Amino acid sequence: MGSEGPPGLPVPGRPKAVGAASSAASPAIVHDAPSPGLPTEAFVAALAGLPAMGHRRLVAILRRWSPEEAWRRAVEGEADDDPCLAARWCAAAGEVDVDGLWRSHLRAGVGLLAFGRPGYPGVLADDHQPPGVLFHRGDPAALDGRRVGIVGTRRCTRYGREVAHELGRDLSASGVRVVSGLAAGVDGAAHAGALAAGGAPPIAVVGSGVDVVYPRRNSQLWADVAAAGLLLSEAPLGAAPEAWRFPVRNRVIAALSEVVVVVESHAHGGSRYTVEAAAERSRTVMAVPGSIRSPASAYTNALLADGCAPARDATDVLVALGLVTAGPGAGEPRPEQRPSPGPVEESVLDALGWDPASLDGLVLRTGRTPPEVMVALSHLERDGLVASRQGWWERLANG
Amino acid sequence: MLATIPSATLLGVEGRRVAVEVHVSSGLPGFTLVGHPDPVCREARDRVRAALLSSGLPWPTKRVTVNLAPGLLRKVGPGLDLPIAVGLLVATGELEAEAVAGCAFLGELGLDGSLRRVPGVVPMVGALDARAVVVPVECAAEAAVVGRLRVRAAGRLAELVACLRGHDPWPDSPPCPPGVESSTPRPDLADVRGQPVGRTALEISAAGGHHLLLSGPPGSGKTMLARRLPGLLPPLEGDDALVATTIRSAAGQSLPPGGLVVDPPFRAPHHGASSVALIGGGTAWMRPGEISLAHLGVLFLDEMAEFPRMVLDALRQPLEEGVVRVCRARASVAFPARFLLVGATNPCPCGEAGPEGRCRCTDAARERYNRRLSGPLLDRFDLRVVVSRPDVADLLGGPPGESTEVVAARVAEARERARSRGVGCNAELPAGLLDEVAPLAPAALAVLEHQLRVGALSGRGLHRIRRVARTIADLAGAGPVVDEAHVCLALGLRADVVPSEVAA
Repeated sequence: MGSEGPPGLPVPGRPKAVGAASSAASPAIVHDAPSPGLPTEAFVAALAGLPAMGHRRLVAILRRWSPEEAWRRAVEGEADDDPCLAARWCAAAGEVDVDGLWRSHLRAGVGLLAFGRPGYPGVLADDHQPPGVLFHRGDPAALDGRRVGIVGTRRCTRYGREVAHELGRDLSASGVRVVSGLAAGVDGAAHAGALAAGGAPPIAVVGSGVDVVYPRRNSQLWADVAAAGLLLSEAPLGAAPEAWRFPVRNRVIAALSEVVVVVESHAHGGSRYTVEAAAERSRTVMAVPGSIRSPASAYTNALLADGCAPARDATDVLVALGLVTAGPGAGEPRPEQRPSPGPVEESVLDALGWDPASLDGLVLRTGRTPPEVMVALSHLERDGLVASRQGWWERLANG
Repeated sequence: MLATIPSATLLGVEGRRVAVEVHVSSGLPGFTLVGHPDPVCREARDRVRAALLSSGLPWPTKRVTVNLAPGLLRKVGPGLDLPIAVGLLVATGELEAEAVAGCAFLGELGLDGSLRRVPGVVPMVGALDARAVVVPVECAAEAAVVGRLRVRAAGRLAELVACLRGHDPWPDSPPCPPGVESSTPRPDLADVRGQPVGRTALEISAAGGHHLLLSGPPGSGKTMLARRLPGLLPPLEGDDALVATTIRSAAGQSLPPGGLVVDPPFRAPHHGASSVALIGGGTAWMRPGEISLAHLGVLFLDEMAEFPRMVLDALRQPLEEGVVRVCRARASVAFPARFLLVGATNPCPCGEAGPEGRCRCTDAARERYNRRLSGPLLDRFDLRVVVSRPDVADLLGGPPGESTEVVAARVAEARERARSRGVGCNAELPAGLLDEVAPLAPAALAVLEHQLRVGALSGRGLHRIRRVARTIADLAGAGPVVDEAHVCLALGLRADVVPSEVAA
């Protein structure tokens, strides 16, 4: 989106050479004495775009100097005690047009919350690894309220997707903000659920720049979350979704959440970074129980074995938040509204169980002929009891 | 003196008549070959000279001009060696013109005077207009397949000349094409354990001519199933067998001992195949491709997503028309290509993608893999089936399934029913005829209506489902009305096996 701007303005996140900028028909740029009208945030954005600027360095700098002072030092090569790094920053800062950079943020509708500045969320300011800056789209007021993180694998099963969607929907309807990563799979499903409920605004912490939609097929979801809630990122505009950014991002999710619910995760999935970060911050971690045969539930089941509380539905999470006291009504199933299956359909449904099965498997398990099984499945599909995806049949939960 | 000998050359899978004119006159000794020969054909001069001399026949010390008429047609291969040699002998008076009257010649000459096999004897002999044809001994059975001409076989040039001069009797005629009989043993369907759905799909595919896509993890038996498909098809008869034989001969491949190809062919090109190898063509010689060699049989593309997408998409037109037109600057040839396409693919590069979330591939790798199979190509597959690894118990001791013989009988019956509707197989049923030959029972209609309503089925998909359902009903021996069970099975065997993008 940065490339859409008029010539002469730097592409966000990719500093433009001085010569190129001044040769175009843009206002004269004075690097050493920036125009006095620039807000302090503009300098934080410029600092965040410097090379090798992680959250620790940025916070250290912002603790030491004001952003304007820090930027002046960066341009002059005095921003760090390490002369190598200072020289590197000096070289990079010399090519940054702060004014243009800030205008590109304004044009993209991106604001930022800087460490130590007014508006920075208190829950992060007290953190031991606070983000130096959070770029955002949407209203930061969405952060005010109870927040629950819903995380999980991108390679989820239908079960995981459905549970994430239900949790997101029911928590949002109960006024709880859903914090997640807007990735494919569980994260996206949780946000889609929160949006569907239209309750509390969803909060997304993403790994790429807030203008770099990843995965691209979630672009509508990104736009919807930014419109209804808040989209946050530590990464400067235009930052690519590099692998290292995601574990770092997960600590922000953990820090922002009061309770972290892991819906589905493989044994070595990225969710364990979120869980570790949550444990460091003494946040409650809950896990959704899954089949012991499902690789996508390996980590969540391990969490349960380690003593995490199970999250069977939104009520369990609300109880953990202290919003609902567990009563006799908690965890009760919704009334079944689907038509009850006939005898053949019943036997196919029994053979299917709650794990996905191929048509082959169902024919062998029921001992019926393929046409009989298919007729039963087609009736069950019509009644909303099963669904097929890529040639596999899965039983659908009520709800 | 002038001599004209009839012969033929090959263009694609068709023979074209060629008149070999040899003119010998006084003048500076020399040999000129004109009439658009290709490089191999041009080398005939040296082979013919050596063959004549080693057979104890004279090489004229005169001016020799050989013309291959018609001049515009490109003459390919060494098959014109023999007619040139015979023409030379007639033109120099070594042979009487009457001795060769009405007789055509085909064959390559060795330097020692032996006659060698040439590709494409069946179509070339078929194109000839003569009473008899002389071919190398190795090709005699092939030439006899045509049946219209008297076939004389010769092993060496010297023997041939002796026979033509009447010194020796002609050797016995080669055996007539023997009875139609399958020769090579084919893998039997009884070997397949478990896989009830895969077997059903195979049977429906064979009976209705529906293209079949098998998707499943490595080791689930996709290839095993596919190799058993040609055994289910009825043997080739009459013109079909002759066409299959002609194509095989034109491609220079050996024919079965009987001469005639009666087993439906099975071709399984490797995924490294180029588009020319698959479709046909080539620079030196318009060669039929794999899809033409699979004409009236099965083309099996294993690891289908590993084929370059361009090669796969080249299949779309022949799949639709049953003919592939290969156009080059020099010539444009139509090859027959009506084949049953069977594809096998893994669900993703690591092969483990499925609902269990066991796949280790990255999203990008999986998408790249699945993009190879374009939507229009996938749409050509009436049957798309997930094959899962069979149960251990089934593998080790399950009861054997039905044998190929039993299933093939049902297939033949179903095909007979299709023929009574005026089409070769149900896959060819025109959409307009469906209401007449495959009326739907009310319950079946309700199922299809639901599928259309929820957007799981398109208008074109509807016709395909109805054709498959017709085949299923035929196999079940049902009446004219297509039942709910038939439609449901047809829907179940048309799974969306290639993972489409799943939004969260």
